[in-house]
Amino acid sequence: MSAQAGTAPYAGASLETRFRATARSEWIKFRSVRSGPAVLLATAVILPVTAWLLCGYYGHNWATMSPASKASFDPVFISLRGIEGAQLFVGAFGVITVTGEYTSGLIRGTFIATPQRAQVIAMKATIFAAVVWAWCTILSFAAFFIGQSLLSSPAKHVAIGDPGVLTAVFGGGLYLTLVGLLGLFIGVLLRRTPAALAALFGILLVSPVAIGLLGGKLSAQLAEFLPDSGGEEIFKLLHGGAYTLGPWQGFAILAAYVAVAAAPAFLLVRRRDA
Amino acid sequence: MIEARKLRKVYGHTVAVDGIDFQVKPGHVTGFLGPNGAGKSTTMRMILGLDLPTSGTVTVGGRRYQSTVWPLHEVGALLDAHAVHPGRSAYNHLHSLAAANGIARRRVDEVLDQVGLTSVARKRVGGFSLGMSQRLGIAGALLGDPGTLLFDEPVNGLDPDGILWIRTLMRKLADEGRTVLVSSHLMSEMALTADHLLVIGKGRLLADTPLSELIARNSDERVEVRAADSGRMAADLRVVGARVTMEPDGTLSVVGLGSKQIGELAAERGHVLRQLRDVTVSLEEAYFRLTGESVEYRAPNPARVAA
Amino acid sequence: MMSETIQATTATSRRRATPSALLRARAALSAEWIKLRSLRSMLVTLVLAAVFCIGYADLLCWRFTLRWHTFDAASKAAFNPLDTNFNDLVIGVLFFGVLGALVVTNEYGNGLIRTTLAATPQRGLFLAAKAALLVPLALVSSAVIIFAAFLTGQGILAGHVPHVTLADPGVLGRVLGAIFYLTAASLIGLFIGVIARSAAAAMTCVFGAFLVLETLLDSLHGGVWQHTVPYLPSNLGNALWLSHSGSLASPTVAALVLAAYVIVLGVVATFSLRSRDA
Repeated sequence: MSAQAGTAPYAGASLETRFRATARSEWIKFRSVRSGPAVLLATAVILPVTAWLLCGYYGHNWATMSPASKASFDPVFISLRGIEGAQLFVGAFGVITVTGEYTSGLIRGTFIATPQRAQVIAMKATIFAAVVWAWCTILSFAAFFIGQSLLSSPAKHVAIGDPGVLTAVFGGGLYLTLVGLLGLFIGVLLRRTPAALAALFGILLVSPVAIGLLGGKLSAQLAEFLPDSGGEEIFKLLHGGAYTLGPWQGFAILAAYVAVAAAPAFLLVRRRDA
Repeated sequence: MIEARKLRKVYGHTVAVDGIDFQVKPGHVTGFLGPNGAGKSTTMRMILGLDLPTSGTVTVGGRRYQSTVWPLHEVGALLDAHAVHPGRSAYNHLHSLAAANGIARRRVDEVLDQVGLTSVARKRVGGFSLGMSQRLGIAGALLGDPGTLLFDEPVNGLDPDGILWIRTLMRKLADEGRTVLVSSHLMSEMALTADHLLVIGKGRLLADTPLSELIARNSDERVEVRAADSGRMAADLRVVGARVTMEPDGTLSVVGLGSKQIGELAAERGHVLRQLRDVTVSLEEAYFRLTGESVEYRAPNPARVAA
Repeated sequence: MMSETIQATTATSRRRATPSALLRARAALSAEWIKLRSLRSMLVTLVLAAVFCIGYADLLCWRFTLRWHTFDAASKAAFNPLDTNFNDLVIGVLFFGVLGALVVTNEYGNGLIRTTLAATPQRGLFLAAKAALLVPLALVSSAVIIFAAFLTGQGILAGHVPHVTLADPGVLGRVLGAIFYLTAASLIGLFIGVIARSAAAAMTCVFGAFLVLETLLDSLHGGVWQHTVPYLPSNLGNALWLSHSGSLASPTVAALVLAAYVIVLGVVATFSLRSRDA
């Protein structure tokens, strides 16, 4: 096997082979992001525990609630409210999946191995989304069942088969996935951890508070277009509260934020030095 | 002087350093050799109080590092050229270290000059090449004019000029009576710089000797002989009990007889000698013989694999 | 052998007297100050905090002057000019918490902590110096920001809607309470940073503690919640600068509990720093 150096025929590797190679390498890197297990564990704790706390509370205090509160009570949304805490961790995880590589300089090795940078980012995002979606959907279901078990009659509760419930519970996993992706693309854009996290948390968590402080109709109108409030609608069962747009419009708004972050991310990653 | 007694460090299930004893004495350049993963960096970190030993002690000048106030005056170390914040200028990085230990500001300018970084003193460290970062690290070690110096891979990233410079610097520091401990992989450099060696493998101390002794102990005294008639020469040598190996080009490698005896034998038997040379093993070979069993991470020999 | 010993003694015989505690403290503080002022990102964080806190406060006040005519009598009666001015502190506190965290997580990113601890192996002193630098920095910047936000905000309100001055009863107390809150938040951020060691983990905890916890738990009343919800960090802050107390703790209690948080976290952080490898 005395092959001459440098004559191995690699150039002919098919698109599919290259794709799979990138996928495999991104999967390995994803598995080894240091805080990965911690984040997944945190999510696994927050979602069920919040459901347990909140639904236990409302189930216990049902009798003392006002009729208006009882009417507007959303058993699915309340079970899934842990998402508002979990989004912190999932979003941060999205950020560090990318900024970790930039900080350690690993990104240079990655781009040397695969110069088609957009492909690398796309693969990273896909693997991230797949894992996070699966994990968070399972946890959403878990939180839902825990919550409903604590909301025994006379408290308002629902079964998984009731209209709109399944969509809402799936919506929980979907929401967290999109939040994670938003973090990931912001990470590609800003490349440094503190800045990217600040931007993500600013857009996701701070903007609702800031807009809310404005008060009046303007506040309510602007709030419709925030990723947090828009996205929330997809894991609610009851709509038509303060939020006037429907759940799928809300989802589209969140998805739009992700797209707005992703587009320049794909463009810039090719033009900038690693 | 650095002194370690039964120094041991365990990470989880891995024993990084397995109860070693050694002394690093002043006035010498002591080389710290060992394969990757042998425990060199861990030991150096324990000397500096960065990692806490699982058991055992290590002291510098008789005191534990953690109890030393303003230690940069006594111990200077280059462990990791990257242990700086990329957003800071070289000057400010050194200035903060100097201030932390009550070292005068002019020392910062002095050491920057000594390592040749004065022209980039105000530039962000993030933009430095590896060689520049190394020199910044060396500057940091020299800041307090300490009596003990630790260098981990100091020539990493330096150009030939820089390598010569650091070698001369280390010798000078040792000649001034300071304690110098250098950890390196570059055998050729070690052979030129160090006069005492600590060899570590898989967390254990394999040797603690002067350089010359290590080489002598791990050499077979070998003589290279080239004769007009190699075959007959080899036979004659074997008759008197020497071990003879014949190289492809006809050179004879003889063990068991000194060059003087071989010369006399050749004269007796009427051989024409073209070369008669004593061969001592290089540090590299001695090192490989010593650590042969204890290499943690070994890559297969490329020459053998390609065949 | 003999010459070796003499040479060794010469090199190490420059035995300096051990520096006094005061000198050591000054040296540690001086080093921390150089580190802080030599990083642009710290300055940027402070500037952003100022711009946001003052700017948004002014924006909110201005908005209220615009909306005033739409208020009914009850709303007008309930209007509190100081609340309006300081409402943005629920966000402003995050800047200070993150600042505190970054002051220490900057050391961990590239392993700078090893160089730092090699220079100052007494880890308690190192942490104390960081805290001792952070406190006056946070105090001064928060004071400047709060007073500027107050004066400009009230200035915007004046002439259109009810407003207050520092001379009015209770106002100064709440202004000082706000300053205390922001300073305490920066220390909490610092200690979280020491325990968490990474910027990502620390920032996540700061946002979690000061923003998200309240959102999740605020709707819970009665029973055990009555005794815990008011003591969430954000609610303690509210108790210090918000006008109506409702279920919140009294300002004095809030200040004490906040101080307790700082102390407990400080102890945990010190212990964590000293017992772990760098």
